[in-house]
Formats: sequence, structure tokens, C-alpha cells
Amino acid sequence: MKIPFSWLKEQVPLTSTPAQIADDLVRLGHEVEGVEMPRAAVAGVRVGQIISKQPHPDADKLSLLKVDVGAAELLDIVCGASNMDEGDKIPVATIGTSLPNGLKIKKGQIRGASSCGMCCSEVELGLADESAGLLILPADAPVGMEVGDYLQLEEAVFDLSITPNRGDCMNTRGLARDLAADAGLSLVDMLPFEAAIDATVQAPKVMVSAETDCPAYLARRIEGVKLGDSPAWMQAGLIMAGMRPVNGIVDVLNYVMLYLGQPMHAFDADKLNGGINVRSAESDELFKALDGRELKLHAGDLVVTDQDSVIALAGIMGSETSGVSESTVNIVLESAFFRPARVSETRRTYAMVSEASMRFERGVDPEMVSIGLQQATKMITELFGGVVGEITLCGNTSEINAAKQMHCSISRIEKRLGITLPETVDDVLRRMGFGILRHADRLDVVIPPFRHDVSIAEDMSEEYARVIGFDAIPEILPALATIAPPRPDRSIHDAVAGGFLQVVTYAFISEKEQRLFVAEDGNDIRLQNPISDAMSVMRRTAWAGLLNVSRHNLNRQQSGIAIAEQGRLYNKTENGHDEKNVLAWLMAGESETEQWYGAARQAGFFDLKGAVEAWLAARGLTGRFIADDSIQGLQAGQSAKILIGRAEAGRIGRVDGDIARAFDIDVPVFVADINLDVLHAGKKAKFAPLAEFPGVERDLVFLLDKSAFVRDAGSDAIVQTVNKAGGKLLTETRIFDLYEGKGVPEDKVSVGVRFILQDASRTLTQQDSDAASAAIIAAMDKRFGAALRG
Amino acid sequence: MSEIDSLKAQLETLQSEALAAFSAAIDLVSLQQMRVNYLGKKGALTEVLKGVGKLPPQERPVIGQYVNQSKSVLSAALDIAEAGLAVAAKAERVEAERIDVTLPGRVGATGALHPVQRGLDEMTAIFSQMGFAVAEGPEIENEFHNFDALNIPPEHPARAMHDTFFVEQMGDEPMLLRTHTSPVQIRAMKRFLAESGEPPLAVVAPGRVYRCDYDVTHSPMFHQVEVFKVDRDVSMAHLKGVLKHFLSTYFEKEVSIRLRPHYFPFTEPSAEVDIGCVFCAGKGCRICKNSGWIEVLGSGMIHPNVLKSVGIDSDEFSGFAFGLGVERLVMLKQGIPDLRMFFENDVRFLRRMGS
Repeated sequence: MKIPFSWLKEQVPLTSTPAQIADDLVRLGHEVEGVEMPRAAVAGVRVGQIISKQPHPDADKLSLLKVDVGAAELLDIVCGASNMDEGDKIPVATIGTSLPNGLKIKKGQIRGASSCGMCCSEVELGLADESAGLLILPADAPVGMEVGDYLQLEEAVFDLSITPNRGDCMNTRGLARDLAADAGLSLVDMLPFEAAIDATVQAPKVMVSAETDCPAYLARRIEGVKLGDSPAWMQAGLIMAGMRPVNGIVDVLNYVMLYLGQPMHAFDADKLNGGINVRSAESDELFKALDGRELKLHAGDLVVTDQDSVIALAGIMGSETSGVSESTVNIVLESAFFRPARVSETRRTYAMVSEASMRFERGVDPEMVSIGLQQATKMITELFGGVVGEITLCGNTSEINAAKQMHCSISRIEKRLGITLPETVDDVLRRMGFGILRHADRLDVVIPPFRHDVSIAEDMSEEYARVIGFDAIPEILPALATIAPPRPDRSIHDAVAGGFLQVVTYAFISEKEQRLFVAEDGNDIRLQNPISDAMSVMRRTAWAGLLNVSRHNLNRQQSGIAIAEQGRLYNKTENGHDEKNVLAWLMAGESETEQWYGAARQAGFFDLKGAVEAWLAARGLTGRFIADDSIQGLQAGQSAKILIGRAEAGRIGRVDGDIARAFDIDVPVFVADINLDVLHAGKKAKFAPLAEFPGVERDLVFLLDKSAFVRDAGSDAIVQTVNKAGGKLLTETRIFDLYEGKGVPEDKVSVGVRFILQDASRTLTQQDSDAASAAIIAAMDKRFGAALRG
Repeated sequence: MSEIDSLKAQLETLQSEALAAFSAAIDLVSLQQMRVNYLGKKGALTEVLKGVGKLPPQERPVIGQYVNQSKSVLSAALDIAEAGLAVAAKAERVEAERIDVTLPGRVGATGALHPVQRGLDEMTAIFSQMGFAVAEGPEIENEFHNFDALNIPPEHPARAMHDTFFVEQMGDEPMLLRTHTSPVQIRAMKRFLAESGEPPLAVVAPGRVYRCDYDVTHSPMFHQVEVFKVDRDVSMAHLKGVLKHFLSTYFEKEVSIRLRPHYFPFTEPSAEVDIGCVFCAGKGCRICKNSGWIEVLGSGMIHPNVLKSVGIDSDEFSGFAFGLGVERLVMLKQGIPDLRMFFENDVRFLRRMGS
């Protein structure tokens, strides 16, 4: 909301500078988003008169002007506009002037002609968004006068963001009341106005059926208005306050609303049929709003109707057909109090916002319902003539939010704020409209009807805090509590320690991306109002986000990528939804770049597997990787599920080539994820004495059927077999060599197994290792039909 | 010439010949050979000693002495020559093994935490050290926890300010993506009361939040940290104390704070919190728009209706609460100009900010 400084000064005799007023407003809780200084912004622009005008010899569209700006000499100015003649008065930006658009006026040469200033349009003066040429000033404008002074531009305009609890300050009078109270000044009295009533003008017939939602409704007929545009000063004021002039009547109503906070509506009396009824809408009742939208109303919406149709959605918007237009002669003015919650709900239902609804849903000042109507009557008749009828009054404004009484404990407020409440500040609150009385610790408060936001002791604590100022409250550290700090979640930190860059991606992805890794099963959680299709479904896989990050980076000359993300996956469940915590990894491209010490190396399955194993080891866990061809989106034969104990905790594998290409990635991509919720705490490291006697290391090389090895057995099975057969002394088993090719039959693979035997109490003998070897050879033969390689 | 003089001369010749040979030796192997040739069992000195037999018995000890003298002279000279050669050989080897120490080191891939994560870690740690317990809550919430319990009834204009994402119907009630971490306040208080019966409680709740707003300065997903404390006699002065300590610790310098009255439905009084501009120390710059102050978070004393909604007696207990935007604070601390960089995840950005 924008309020010109002069409007405030009409209400309170403020003497402070705009900057000081802005500080005061902030301290009182009214956020100032900016202070425009329209007059200062055009300082240096003066009223000039065109003495002569000649075409520029070298440019068709330029004119050479001699302009009198009241200085000793005439100014030569080259001008590109065409709407001016000799003798016209125009605004001239003199040398050294900075215009609102940032342009600094310097002496210059334009096509060989010197130019000592610039003639301005409304746009250049910051007065309008568009203009057709120079601003031609009235003939009586005094030459040489500052244009800002001549046009009586505002010294300052405050751009305010009024908080939703302070509906009473969404107008000049309310804001002025806060400032006056704070500065110890009085508000200027409002002169009462009663229009002269013409008995021939009938009072409108009004019935209010929905009294709860509309506790007061006032209407009055004005007949025979000669409608025209509102006067220039009013239009300028409205524009200054951020509103658009519409027509004479609407402008007056807006002007009064900005002044007093009471939104009003005017109907074309000749377009109404029969009496007015304020009632709840019927289900599916139709309403064609002023903004062109056609609404099917819900039962309970509050509407204003005539005999035939809905003429307004109460407090929000009038109908397209019942409003005033240029041809309107007779009007019905409406001024009412609509229940804030009612307006708010209806407004949200149809996603409508109007200046009126913003005020009604925050609560207007009941006293202004009638005063506003009188003010509007006064201005309309003064500007456009017409004769005025009696007001039809339904309800009683003095009963709305009638002065509520409240008492509370002063010490309780003091405890809440951490300061004492000096009695002197009571006067500030009194000037703000509160009734304040103290009896020892008891505070009796009468709350003014326009303060819909105050009802309990805590509300008064805020009132006291803002008038005393938050700066008065000391900074005190409370006694520290001592709690057992939770075991920190180091999941992502350990992944980062493993060489991965942590990324953070959005929790919503596209449905298309979801389907790449998760089959449609009705358990997607979709947003009703997504930003776009690309962000419309809550993710059930972290891999899509990682692939998008990979695409972004591989497209930017990164030769390889290793990233990890910790976040949640969201699934619909039978009785609601769940949010799983996952850690996900992705590797693609080079895992080692070409260096002086070695060639580049492409990331492979085992790089990522190693990273996941190291991550598990860091928390005392060991995973079993079981080949699994059924993981959606991963390439069969290069994918596995990860078991921890019996729990299926994660997945790993190579992203299907077509999917990778869909993300513009043509190198192999490997991904993994671990469901952090199923991880139990791993084994805690326990001390065991270190072996003092040397171990015995033996290598055995077996020939296995290739198909049996890869598809059925796998090295895990071989290690298990060796571990089991090796007996108690066996401490470590490792596959140290895999070979196929020359010297090995085509359907076979040579597998080298190294095992270590060790005993805590003695040095082992040849006999020990021979026995173990024999047992292992036998077991390998039995389990896999594997023979020792000769 | 007497026999003894001839032997003496022989010894002298031998000795000077040997010394010359030693100093001319070019490697340890030839020196070793010389040791054998001169001092060995069958070496030249031994040969001289054999001639002693021809001498009369009384002269023998004299020659013996000479020989022994020569032996120690030569042995010492050999040791010196050997040591000299060893030093030279080592120097040669060291020179041969010289490397270019300016070549880059061999490193595996280095990771980095996301700047938001670092911010979250730092902030949570500060509050943990002050005795605040860490709590989390669901990101898909119901209206009760996100709005109603926080004193934002359905018709409240503040609901419209939240730009809420709603999810399609599932279960019995409408669900939404939480617009702030404040619902964790409600959940944590309920859980805590069930466990402990009554306050005090102090909680820090970090997490992701969502607003349906996407432009240069808004991301539809961002991170907040919610902090609150409920106890007997908690006052606005405590709020200011905790804010001051937190902000000064986080920014690693003493920062001044300013509270401005504001409106949040769940606090009363409510205040926006500004810090003295960390870039210009309050002198006025582009970042603080020449005001010397930067808005960092919203705060206030918990509204009695919020305490009531979880069954805490607001006559007996009071509390403060504040919620801060993690990205905003990280941007201020690290000088990051654009919110969108956090979610673009350009690895060059992540590496730079992660160090």
C-alpha cells in the first residue's frame, strides 16, 4: 500500500522528515518497503517556454528549440518530440539534472547541433508509464519555476507492507493515528457531514437475511449525477497511491477508502430490479463478476442480490452488469460491515483479490461504515451533482466489535517482555484508542472497535512492546539446559569423505522421470498446484535428481562426476504416506583424470561398490551384494540388491543406457541407494589382542566353469566356501586373481584364492597349512566341481 | 744397507704407494680390494713381516713396530677414503633420485559437503551446545500441524501468504508440503509432553520446507531451522539473548541485532530480526540497501493458543520461537549472490564452497 506523505500531514501536524517518519513507522510495526521522493527526483527540471522551433538541418525527426527557462540566456535544445509548438510551456531538465530513470543531463551535440538540456515527457519525470510526447504545461505556468513545485509533486510516498493483523492501518487515517499517538500529537478532527436530503429520492429497499455475516448494511440513492472523469488532483493522488483511475464514482469511492479504510460499492440504480437482499448464496447460483469471470457459487457465500440476480459477491467484487458506467445517472451507494472470516473464505475459494476484500477480511472500522458513506456522498455531489436520499440502515454499527473490556496482570506482561512498563506509555496507547486504567498490578483495558486483533493479555504485551520499543528489551542468555546430544547423523558426511560431492535437489520431479525407476502402482504423491510438470510428483527415487545434476555438469566440461544426496522419498501408503530417508550415490565418466602419473580411468561398477562398502564399514556394517536383474532402470547383469543382515537395505547398478541417454549422458552411469531407516546400529569396535605369532599365507588357483562362476556362484560363494572349509585357524580369504584366456579352457575361468591361517598361541607348521589346503580343495570340488589349476 | 734399513725403506715405499692408490680409488669396490691387497692375510704388509725372520732377534721388535704403525696408518687412511667415497656415492644416488616437487600430488576424488548442509551443521551445533534438542518432522503435513495448531485458522489471511503446495487427496484429510518448520514445534511439544509431562523443553528443528513461489529470489524448496524454548518465565529478553549469541557465533563476529515489531499468527509479540550489516559494519552498502541492517529471521513469544493446542498451560509457561532461512544466512556468511546456485549443483560451485 502506498501513502503520500502529504495525506498523512493533512491528518497529523507532523514535522519530521520522511526518513524519520519511515523509521517511526518501522518501530511501530509497519514495514516500509521503500520511500519514493517524486519531487526531489525531478529537482532541476524547470518550466520552460518554447521561444522558437526550427527543423534540424540534418535530421528529419529532430527540432531545434530555443527555450526560456528564466535564465539570462535562452537554451538551445535539440528535441525529438513533435507535439510542441512555439509558445508552449514544457518541463526542461537543465544541465546537471538527474532524472528518475537515471539519465543525467549533460551538454551535448546531437547531429552537429549543440543541446543544453532536455524537454521531458511524463515518463521521463516518472509520472506515468507511457506518454504520447512532451508534457505540455498550462499556459499560466511560471517560466523558470521548478516543475516539481509547480505540479505540487509529493515530497515523499511511503510504500508500506501492512501486516494482516492491522487492517485498521490500511488507510491514511489509521496510520496517522499510530503516528500521532507515538509523536504525542492529536489527529486533526474530521468535520461531520450530513448531506441535505431530497424527499423525492427514495431510500433503497434493503433486507439482510444473513445477519451474522453482515451485521451492518447501509445504502443510499443519489439521483441525477452528471458522471465524468474525476478531477486531475484526485487521479494524481490515486496513481500516487498505486491505484488506477476508473471513472468518477469509482475513483471517489477508492479515494475515500484510502482515506478512511471503508470500502464501498456503487450500483447503477437503473440496472437494479427490486429491493436489495444480502443473503447466503444458493449452491450453484451463477455470478458474473466485474473482472469477466463467471462463477458457480457455493452455498454459504455471502451475496448481494436484487430481485433477479446476484449483483455482488459481498465485500469482494460487484457484478459485470450492475456497476456504474459513463451513462449512469442514478446510483445506489453501499457501505457495509461484512464478517472478515466470511469474506476471507469466499475470496480464497475463487482466488479473487480486491482492495475491498483485503480490507474486509482484515476487519474494517465499524465507525467508518457510516462516516465513509457520508464522505463519499459529499464528494460525489460536490463533483458530479445529484440529489441525495435517506440512508437505509440495516443493523447497528455501534454493536460491532463493541468496545471490549479486558483485564490482565501488569507483572505478567512485564515478565513476558523482560522489561517494566512505565505508566507514561499508557498515554501513547490511550492516544491509539485504548482505554487504560491501572489498579496496582491490574490493568483494565478497553479495546477500540477498530482493533480486531487485540483480545488477550499477550496482545497487550505486543502493544506495550511496540510503543516502548524492542530496543529497550535487554539481551539475556537463559540458563543452559543440559541434554544428552543425539548421535549425529553422519550419513552424508561419510559419503563426502569417500570422495563424493553432496548435492541437494528438489523433492518433486516429473512423472516421466519417476516412471524411469518406479513402476506406476498408484502410490505416487502428486502436487495439486505444481510449479510445472517437471516438478509435479514427490520423488520415489533419488536417481532422477542425480541424473539431472550429472547432465548439468557433464554438459559443462566436467569429465567425470561423483555425487551423493541425502533426502527423503515419499510414498502413498494404505493409511496415508511415508517418508523414507535415503542416501544415494552416482558416478559417471572419469573416476581418475589423466595425470602426469597415469592415464584417465572410467568409473566402473566396482568403484561405486567400493564406496558403498567403505561407507557401510564406517558404521560397522557389512553388506551382501546379490545380483538382481529386476531393478527397474538398471542394466541386467550389472545390478544388485544390497542386504544388511536379512534386511534389503539398498540397490546398486549401472543405469540403463537408454535412460542415461535420455539425460544426454553417453558414458556409463552407476547409481546406488541405501534406505537409512532400515539400518541398525553396526557393531561397535571391540578390542582384541593382536596376533603375536606369524601367520601362514597360501595361494590356491582353481578352474571353475565360467557359467557357474558368474551366474550361480560368484566370488562371495567361493570365499564363503573357503572360509567354512579352512577351519578355525583361517583368518582371511581373498580372491587375488581372476583370469580367462590363453592357457585356460574357453568355458573355464581361473580363480586365485589367497588365505591366511593364524593362531594366537603358536607358530603354525607345514602340517597345519597342508590340512587346511586339502580341506579347501575338497570343499571347492564338492561345491563347484572346481579343480586345482595345474 | 743393513737388512733392517732395507726393510724400513721397503715399508716406506709401500706405505706411500698405498696412500697414493687409496686417494686415487674411484669406488668402494676397488678400495675394498686394496684393503685386501695391503692389509689382508696375504697382503703386502704381511709379506714385509715375513722378511723379519732374517733379522737378528733383537731387531725384530723394531720392525714389528714399524709394520704395525704402517698398518694403522693405512687402515685409517682406508677408513677415511671409504667414508669419502660413501658420501660421494650417496650424494650421487640422492641426485639421481631428485624429483620435481612442484608436480601435483596424487589424490583420489575429494568430496565436499553442500553449503546448505554445512550451514545446517553449524547452526544445529550452536543450538545443541546451548542445550537445544534436535527434532525432525514429516515434510508432507496436515493442515492441523502446519496451520491450525499454529493459530492460523482456515479463514486467516496469513494462510494466503504461505503459497502452499497441496498434494492430491490421500487418506482422510487434505495434505500439504509444510510451508515452514514450525509444525515440528507442535509435534515436538506433543511428543515431549507425552514423555516428560511438562516443560521445560528446548528444541532445534532443521529441515526442508516448500513454498509455491519460483523466481530469482525464491526457491520452491528451501531449508529452515526452527528454534523454540518453553519454560516458566521465558521472556523476550531471553529470545534476544539467544538470538544475539547464535548470530554472533554463526557469523564468527560480534553482530548487533535489532528487533522490529511484525506479525506472525503463532507469536505474540512478533518481531522481525535484523543484524547489523556484516558486509559494511552498518555503514551502508548495496547488500543492506544502505540501511546498515539486514533482515535475517522472524521471531516472537509463542502465542498462548499454540501452547493451548498441545495442552500446555499458558498461564504457567511461556516460550519463545524463531525460524530462520538457512540459505539466506549461508548466502550472507559466504557471500553467495544467487539463491538458485544452491539447487543448480554445479560441481565447480560445490567444490569452491566446500573448501
